[in-house]
Amino acid sequence: MANLLSSGFTKVAQNKRYIFWFWVLNLTLAEFGTAAFRRGAHAILDRSLYADRLVESFDLGVLIELISKPEFGTLKSMAYPSLYFGFMFFLTTSVVLPGIFTGYASTYRLPREEFFRACGRNLWRFIRILITAGVIMGVLAALLFAANDAIAKKAEESTNEKLPFELQVIGLAVIFLTMATLRVWFDLAEVDTVLNDQRAVRKAIAEAFRHTLRSLVRLLASYVVVTIIAAVVLLAGLWIWMKFVAPENVFGAFVVAQITLLLLLVPRFWQRGIAVSYWQERMLIPFAANVITKPVPVPVGAPVELPTPEAPPPLSTLPIEPPPS
Amino acid sequence: MRTLWRWIAIFALFGISLFFVAPRRVATAAPQAPVPAKLVSPPSADPSLDIPSTTTAVNASAPMSQRVVHYEIDAKYDASKHTVDAAEILTYHNLTGHSLDHFPFHLYQNAFQPNSTWVREAKIQGSRDIGYEKWDPKEFGSEEIKSVEVVGQGDATANLQFISPDDNNKDDKTVVDLHLSKPIPAGAFVQFKIAFQTKFPETQARSGWKRDFLLGGQWFPKVGVWWNGAWNCHQYHATTEFFADFGVYDVNLTVPQYEVIGASGIQVSSINNADGTKTVTYHGDDIHDFAWTVSPRYKVKESTYQAQMGPVQLRFLMQPAHWNQVERHERITRETLDHFEKWYGPYPYKTLTVVDPEPDSAAGGMEYPTFITGDSSWLLPNGLYFIELVVEHEFGHQYWYGMVATNEFEDAWLDEGINSYTEVKVMDDILGKDTSILNIAGIHFGEREEQRLSYVSVADRDPMAQKAYDYYNLNSYGGATYGKTASVLLTLENIVGQDTMAQAMHTYFMRYRFTHPTKEDFLKTIEEVSGKDLRWYFNQAIYGSQVLDYEVLNANSFPVNWYEDRDKEDRNKKDKDDTVYQSYVSVHRKGDFIMPVNVEITFDSGEKVREPWDGQSRWNRFSYQKKAKVVSAEIDPDHSIYFDRDNFNNSRGVEPKSKPTNKLSTYWLFITQWLGQAMAWWAV
Repeated sequence: MANLLSSGFTKVAQNKRYIFWFWVLNLTLAEFGTAAFRRGAHAILDRSLYADRLVESFDLGVLIELISKPEFGTLKSMAYPSLYFGFMFFLTTSVVLPGIFTGYASTYRLPREEFFRACGRNLWRFIRILITAGVIMGVLAALLFAANDAIAKKAEESTNEKLPFELQVIGLAVIFLTMATLRVWFDLAEVDTVLNDQRAVRKAIAEAFRHTLRSLVRLLASYVVVTIIAAVVLLAGLWIWMKFVAPENVFGAFVVAQITLLLLLVPRFWQRGIAVSYWQERMLIPFAANVITKPVPVPVGAPVELPTPEAPPPLSTLPIEPPPS
Repeated sequence: MRTLWRWIAIFALFGISLFFVAPRRVATAAPQAPVPAKLVSPPSADPSLDIPSTTTAVNASAPMSQRVVHYEIDAKYDASKHTVDAAEILTYHNLTGHSLDHFPFHLYQNAFQPNSTWVREAKIQGSRDIGYEKWDPKEFGSEEIKSVEVVGQGDATANLQFISPDDNNKDDKTVVDLHLSKPIPAGAFVQFKIAFQTKFPETQARSGWKRDFLLGGQWFPKVGVWWNGAWNCHQYHATTEFFADFGVYDVNLTVPQYEVIGASGIQVSSINNADGTKTVTYHGDDIHDFAWTVSPRYKVKESTYQAQMGPVQLRFLMQPAHWNQVERHERITRETLDHFEKWYGPYPYKTLTVVDPEPDSAAGGMEYPTFITGDSSWLLPNGLYFIELVVEHEFGHQYWYGMVATNEFEDAWLDEGINSYTEVKVMDDILGKDTSILNIAGIHFGEREEQRLSYVSVADRDPMAQKAYDYYNLNSYGGATYGKTASVLLTLENIVGQDTMAQAMHTYFMRYRFTHPTKEDFLKTIEEVSGKDLRWYFNQAIYGSQVLDYEVLNANSFPVNWYEDRDKEDRNKKDKDDTVYQSYVSVHRKGDFIMPVNVEITFDSGEKVREPWDGQSRWNRFSYQKKAKVVSAEIDPDHSIYFDRDNFNNSRGVEPKSKPTNKLSTYWLFITQWLGQAMAWWAV
């Protein structure tokens, strides 16, 4: 597990720019999502001395009064844009993930063209994987949450007041582990699809499923450790924000918030790095050159040597195929 | 009845100053109303009948109230069926000055029937208790009189007739009228022997069972109150509480031996019976209701509080999972007792039982004489003061309901509202203004803001002085009765002066304890103590539904000689000190509540000008010519008005500042970004 964690983290560390660009994307989309809230607040707060109570401290009463003003708009009208742009971030992540996997598997800094070529080649494959994952994860999550609620509801009949809560926590832990297992499975399927240039997505999903079962403890433990680290990062960020940032220091709050969010991107990329490392370690098909080596410059005018049939060309030199029908 | 975020220097100073001011408030004792002497009664049908003059449950040598009723109840609780079979002997002293030929009784538990007025109103107006929607017919509550005998007149069961004086709902059985064959002359006593069975519902309106817990509230046939020349016996409504006469209660409760029991009054004895039950006897003096609770799992803490009139036994019945919160319950109980005794008057009873009810039951936050329920959860962190808020509020009802026994059906603001006002005062003094509900991680929320916010959302619906069952809905009832009353009295405090208001409250309590005062009794006491005619305020704030909303419409400045420099390119180079500005501030009364206010105008020279405005006209404009520009204007700069509907428009800065918006937007941005990351984490 330690080997997977370290090799996965090395891939993240060697490709820090991905995290930076994802943070920029996350911030940009969220800015759009926050516009309605900002506009509503400006109209009421900018000229009111009463609004100073929000700056000098965090007066919940003033915030409640602001939110309840009809001129401010409903909370729903504020929340929906945030949800839409959150969804946009998810969609964008889906589109560029193949490039990230290719970058993580590469031994050199992946050129922009190759990055986006990988994205383009795998767009429809990823959509199929997303749909499959969505159905399986959605159905399973719905069943598990329903079961968890039913158990908690039954436990409410108990005279032990803490029992429903304790059972809910245990239930949520089971749901988390189940969902993390599914995430491992579909992460491996996504990596296999991209790095193996697997047009038959079902084969990648089946292969990933076999490997998930075969190395479940090792993979799941790695994912869980990284998730725990993410939780620690979030809590530490919030603690620093509350403890060291003065209420009136808006810029300081923004900086701490953004550093926290930037660092929160690392764990998920780390998990993807782990998936790529595992694929290279265990799922690599020998005849499919997985390790993308830097192409040797070919002198201009020199005859081009075609690769032998036994050794297919590196992935980066494969011709772009049309999307599968 | 009630369930329900950082210190900054100025608020701390305010809290400290209140602490030092507080003791002085009771320096002058208000005149005590003499306990009405018993009327010389003509011989009754049975000369042996009387109301006991016992004082074993109070720290007093003589009865403190005009005792009208004596309830002797022998009740047996069936824990498996949640029923009580009981024999009740009610001795009633006719002090009405009239001959009485009928007696209305409350049968409150009949409210929990599908066609009752309580359920109908709850469905229309909303209710915090909606458990009834899922009940099987066998789970409905009921209160059935099996037989009634009027001593000296024989069996009168056939003379019982359900009445519905408030809404003519023939299906409502919460009031039954008993016609007597012979009227009871003025001054005489009459005794009723009633056999009844009460079946409790799963907790509704702070009464009933949950799992193996029971809160026995409003559980026995209770006679109405002869008030203002007529019987006052309202049906049980979704938003109403209760009204009853003072008297003596002797109650035998037979319950399984494994039960831990608590009740109003003092425990006289406890005898184990051969059938595995025990009979616990309670006695109460000068109280007007009796409630009890059982649960096999209560953990009990007892201690003594030394009150002004004598020791008070404090008894805390705690849920096992909340045992670590017993100190919080006890601390707030003691501090509240301290404040009430110091500010309003002595607590005369020998006991106070604080019940931490079953979790998820609708039994939390209720008051009965010498018996209150708190409301807690094992998850409540320090800094979130729900325990303190509920216990303080319910204890406050020992004064505003328990002793000053106003009509909760008709003037709920007199008990809930005045209690909410004193709750703000006490909680602010103990936990700090602006931090008395929540004070965690720099986020704070105070009592007075909570009260105001509960009102402003329903500001133009209903007046305070209105029957509790006539409100538009539950929110309107809550907002006007609790929130508006507290805010109106906090504002009144700034009109008459804090010390004067404190004196008025003390006078009101001492004068009207153990009586049934009206709203005018309360209002006239304030006018009398303050020496002011406050009708202009009462008519709008209490009797009216006028809404107070002042706003600064505009504030601006321009050079007086604006035309001289308008075409000059170097006009900005002109010595600013020489420029005379014409400044104006326009204020507007948006609402229909007229109240004199101050307007503070601040200039860029640092000068502040205060202008009084009587608010009579819809708008007013203040104009100035100064070598300074106006920076901001603020209505009510001392923040002495607590029920202005919109606090944001009470002030206006000439230059917009974006810091408050940027701060909130930073929080919202963080949430939005995190949301996007969380979605992407799990979905792809």
